Amino acid sequence: MLFFSFFKTLVNHEVTVELKNDISIRGTLKSVDQYLNIKLDDITVVDELKYPHLSSVKNVFIRGSVVRYVHLPAAAVDTPLLEDATRREASQASAKAKQG
Amino acid sequence: MAEAEEAGGANPVNEPLDLVRLSLNEVVFVKLRGDRELKGRLHAYDSHCNLVLGEVEETVYVVDEEEDNDEDNVRTVKKQSEMLFVRGDSVVLISPQQ
Amino acid sequence: MSAPAAASNGAADARDPSGFLSEIIGAPVTVKLNSGVVYKGELQSVDGYMNIALEQTKEYVDGKMRRNYGDAFVRGNNG
Repeated sequence: MLFFSFFKTLVNHEVTVELKNDISIRGTLKSVDQYLNIKLDDITVVDELKYPHLSSVKNVFIRGSVVRYVHLPAAAVDTPLLEDATRREASQASAKAKQG
Repeated sequence: MAEAEEAGGANPVNEPLDLVRLSLNEVVFVKLRGDRELKGRLHAYDSHCNLVLGEVEETVYVVDEEEDNDEDNVRTVKKQSEMLFVRGDSVVLISPQQ
Repeated sequence: MSAPAAASNGAADARDPSGFLSEIIGAPVTVKLNSGVVYKGELQSVDGYMNIALEQTKEYVDGKMRRNYGDAFVRGNNG
């Protein structure tokens, strides 16, 4: 849930999604779901010469499971807030593991 | 913060992910599938090992297969990223940098 | 990860795999991943996903020592 919420705060920011097949797609983050599937608008493919087949595509849906990285704008990330949210989620997760 | 129900507060390392929790806002080394390594400051993680790292240096080990001789040259490619989300299913190992 | 109540204290029962692992915490262990990479270190902790924390870890690739880690978290799945 942490990263779903995190990505929702980045909607309408420019990101670069690097896929596990090495293709990198830059675009505006339009939406994200609980699986971290991602919709991007106004996309450009990094290294277009190598991957020409996407040159006419304007927007994409990316299945979360094929993502390796998402490069983010550092200015859009509140790192102390993110660390606090991580600690909260971690204590919930370990409490759940103990009763489960 | 870990309070109330956490008797584990006294013993902060009792499950493997505690090691990762103690590395928040510290520089970590991350080994990934596909001969990749990252070094960066850890800002977030979850139980899948999804991560957010800041001031990241990525090292990719690329094997150049040479046609004329049988030697495979391993090349290292370094890339920088100011803020990076890493999907947990690629993660193999996380280690605090000492 | 709750073991069937075969023994009085399920979790610490060394006859099931996670019980065995929790009994050998603190011992020097060798962890071999599906990739063939080997980690040798002192077993600090294990959880239900078989995530593993090791201390004083040495990494071996093709039998050769590659790296030293003070502490290392090894992700359970992805072997």
